[in-house]
Amino acid sequence: MNIARPDRVRLIRDIQWLALLLLATAMHVIEAAMPSLGPWFKPGLANIITLITLLLFGGKAAFLLATARIVLGNLMVGTLLTPTFVMSLAGGVSAAFMMIAAWRCLSARHVISISLIGAVTHMSVQFAVVAQLFIQQPHIYFMLPPLLLLALATGWINGGIARYIATRIRHDHAASL
Amino acid sequence: MLTDAQSELQSLGTCLRGTPLDRLLLAGLLGAVILAWLWIDQQLNHGDPVVRIYHGQRLLAIYPLPRDTRVIHFRAKGSLGEAEIAISREGVRMLHAPCNSQRCVRSGIHHRIGDMIICVPNRILVSIEGDARPRLDGIAE
Repeated sequence: MNIARPDRVRLIRDIQWLALLLLATAMHVIEAAMPSLGPWFKPGLANIITLITLLLFGGKAAFLLATARIVLGNLMVGTLLTPTFVMSLAGGVSAAFMMIAAWRCLSARHVISISLIGAVTHMSVQFAVVAQLFIQQPHIYFMLPPLLLLALATGWINGGIARYIATRIRHDHAASL
Repeated sequence: MLTDAQSELQSLGTCLRGTPLDRLLLAGLLGAVILAWLWIDQQLNHGDPVVRIYHGQRLLAIYPLPRDTRVIHFRAKGSLGEAEIAISREGVRMLHAPCNSQRCVRSGIHHRIGDMIICVPNRILVSIEGDARPRLDGIAE
């Protein structure tokens, strides 16, 4: 039986993607253990990895990584299929979708803009899910503005860090060839 | 994806500075969030603080924050089980909740109008709202 040898470039790419997924999952678990600054507020460290994947491998790889990271991360912290998982999945998937859309419209130089759009989408969708499915009281939106301000601050920092790491990886990769 | 020209090595400080478009977007979003915050602040009543406790859409109880030293203990039946809420002159806090994360319990005491304690797994919302109406002794279901 002949088994075709996998393409080397594709194999390396898949291994790199898997390494990024493991890193993102680890960051998800660390964030879950960190003290909370507010309800459902996290610094979005795992989103740095989604942004790096978007810049290095494109939209499809970033979307798959964001989804797989949320499922694996929630499985590891024991919140799979709980309200926390539903909020996390809705926020993470919609943020990834919006970041990919922004990345297609803007140049890859504007990583911080892409990150800001992701951070605001993540926070807003989480609130919408809680208001519609769990708490069902519209005045929980009164808590949204201060948390959006925090999301803007972390979105800016995460975007800057993601751009720095992505350019560094590409620079080192080019230098090693 | 990043092109080779864009992947010239930059310091972290340069990356964090952002582009003019990044700054423009941040200014726009900041303006929108601050306007929304000011609008919300106007919507909140600024009378005496009143604690409202909900389970989903159901209002379970309304209590004004006491002016004396008594502490009101209220047991709210949520989706997972009973949550114990303490209301005193200092504010309101969740003493016990049946959820795993215990974030609502750890969030501590809240006393300002607009503050909320939310337990998503148990679907309990404790909200401090302003009420200009005459003070009540408390209404509970």
